[in-house]
Amino acid sequence: VSMTSQLSQASCIRCRGGFSSDEHMVNSNGEIYHEDCFVCAQCFQKFPEGLFYEFEGVKYCEHDFHMLFAPCCGKCEEFIIGRVIKAMNNNWHPECFTCKLCNTPLADVGFVKNAGRSLCRPCHNREKALGLGKYVCNKCHSIIEEEPLRFKGDPYHPFHFNCDNCGKELTAEARELRGELYCLPCHDKQGIPICGACRRPIEERVVSAMGKHWHVEHFVCAQCEKPFLGQKHYEKNGHAYCELHYNQLFGDVCYHCNGVIDGDVVSALNKSWCVKHFQCTCCNTKLTLKNKFVEYDMKPVCRKCYEKFPLELKKRLKKAAESEKK
Amino acid sequence: MSKLKKIVEDSKNQKMKVIDLSDRGIQNLNEVPGLMMLEHVTHLTMSHNKLAAVPPSIGELVNLEMLNLFNNHIEELPTSLSGLMKLKILNLGMNRLSHLPRGFGSFAKLEMLDLSYNNLSENSLPSNFFFMTTLRTLYLADNDFETFPANINKLQDMQVLSLRDNDLISLPKEVGELLKLKELHIQGNRLTVLPPELGNLELTGPNNVFKADRNPWVAPILEQFMLGNSHVFGYIRSDTYKYLHGRHIHAEPAPPPKKDDKAKKACRKPLHNKNK
Ligand SMILES: [Zn+2]
Ligand SMILES: [Zn+2]
Ligand SMILES: [Zn+2]
Ligand SMILES: [Zn+2]
Ligand SMILES: [Zn+2]
Ligand SMILES: [Zn+2]
Ligand SMILES: [Zn+2]
Ligand SMILES: [Zn+2]
Repeated sequence: VSMTSQLSQASCIRCRGGFSSDEHMVNSNGEIYHEDCFVCAQCFQKFPEGLFYEFEGVKYCEHDFHMLFAPCCGKCEEFIIGRVIKAMNNNWHPECFTCKLCNTPLADVGFVKNAGRSLCRPCHNREKALGLGKYVCNKCHSIIEEEPLRFKGDPYHPFHFNCDNCGKELTAEARELRGELYCLPCHDKQGIPICGACRRPIEERVVSAMGKHWHVEHFVCAQCEKPFLGQKHYEKNGHAYCELHYNQLFGDVCYHCNGVIDGDVVSALNKSWCVKHFQCTCCNTKLTLKNKFVEYDMKPVCRKCYEKFPLELKKRLKKAAESEKK
Repeated sequence: MSKLKKIVEDSKNQKMKVIDLSDRGIQNLNEVPGLMMLEHVTHLTMSHNKLAAVPPSIGELVNLEMLNLFNNHIEELPTSLSGLMKLKILNLGMNRLSHLPRGFGSFAKLEMLDLSYNNLSENSLPSNFFFMTTLRTLYLADNDFETFPANINKLQDMQVLSLRDNDLISLPKEVGELLKLKELHIQGNRLTVLPPELGNLELTGPNNVFKADRNPWVAPILEQFMLGNSHVFGYIRSDTYKYLHGRHIHAEPAPPPKKDDKAKKACRKPLHNKNK
């Protein structure tokens, strides 16, 4: 845009009028205007900083040009100047057209329509696999048709990996160990114990019991399935039980210590005792079934203690015992 | 006395966990200096002595698992007793207790409690008595209970309940909720009927004890007792009995009179030779 000195026969392209000698004229690419006529065809205001947009021979200020003709982005709803991505029946800034699941820009990598959404290819495959009840390989992003190989928590086609020891291509049977993958024979050769319950290697604390190894949390009571977590367990017929359930199922429980009786059982007074816990309830002297003891509310009392009972009580107990027999 | 001192010294030096101080004529624990400093002791037997009180310092023996105070003259217990967090067995039988200290029921692990032959009644129990949910056995024979609290059903691990020779005029139906109960001793009371709920329990097997004689049972129950305990349980489970029991309770019969056969109980007599 430039301004010129007067030109007597010149006329304004907009209003067709001439120019007086002291009047400024505007020349835009050889077209001459009055200063007041060089305005936006929509809002009749001068172009800010002389900047205008032309469409089919008509000039507009930036604002109105956008209002009338520029496309809006389907995501951010701002005008799009420059490259427009036309897709999914809408217009997009290239940076706004992204995968609906992972937000990767799709302008240059292409996209797949999936249930009304634009998705990148990996996301599309994963969605499809999910629908089929399958996994998508974390390396090649295609569906894993066979059994996947899990590595650091993610599923892969096994054939992307080789055994860290022998180099053989792996199958789904491969095992992860300290961040590396091994074929089953190579894994087993490393002497890592396998859990008797879940059949997976034990890399943390190992519990050895019943001729097997166990994850701490997998060595559980056969009845209540609670882990023993270092507490005592009881074995019977190849199963391990917590004390409570062993007692409930098989145990002779000691009246005194409430534990399962280890070894010989003393049976007396409709109860059972550990040998060392069969004692006088009054003085805690150890008794055996060979000792003479007295029954007192179905508790054993040694003769010495019974002698010390008040005469009144001994009389009543004797009378009561007689009436009981009747 | 030097003998007692030697026992304490030996225990201290050899870290003996079991101490037997039974039948040594001890009247006051001051006679056994240093005893309450034996923190490593787990089993302490002091039966057949003449202790009138247990000092609060008993709470220092934090590792005690068993404490036997059978046959003393104890009238007062310290509240610190129930702070023995490891105590599993407590024998206070044959003493002179007519009440228990406030908060007595706050034992953390108590499994066996023997309070036979004292002067306790339903009014002697502190409000938290039935918080002791770890209790397996509770012996209250030869006491003065006329009723028994329904809260007994809070003690779900209860295996043995002895209420022989009290003055019970009824048994709470909640006893029928103690599904682990193996022994029930209720002989020598003033019971006329049994709650039908007792029929929920299995008390007639080879490892069970059900003693109920010397009660003024109503005739139909007495007839079953003549035949045997299993007949009693069969009967109280019947609809006939449930009906009869309901009618009996509804009629509110006067309770049978107290027997005075416990009047001569040693723990009731005043102590003439009480020293200090
Ligand atoms: Zn404009
Ligand atoms: Zn994506
Ligand atoms: Zn792959
Ligand atoms: Zn290999
Ligand atoms: Zn495991
Ligand atoms: Zn279990
Ligand atoms: Zn035992
Ligand atoms: Zn004894």
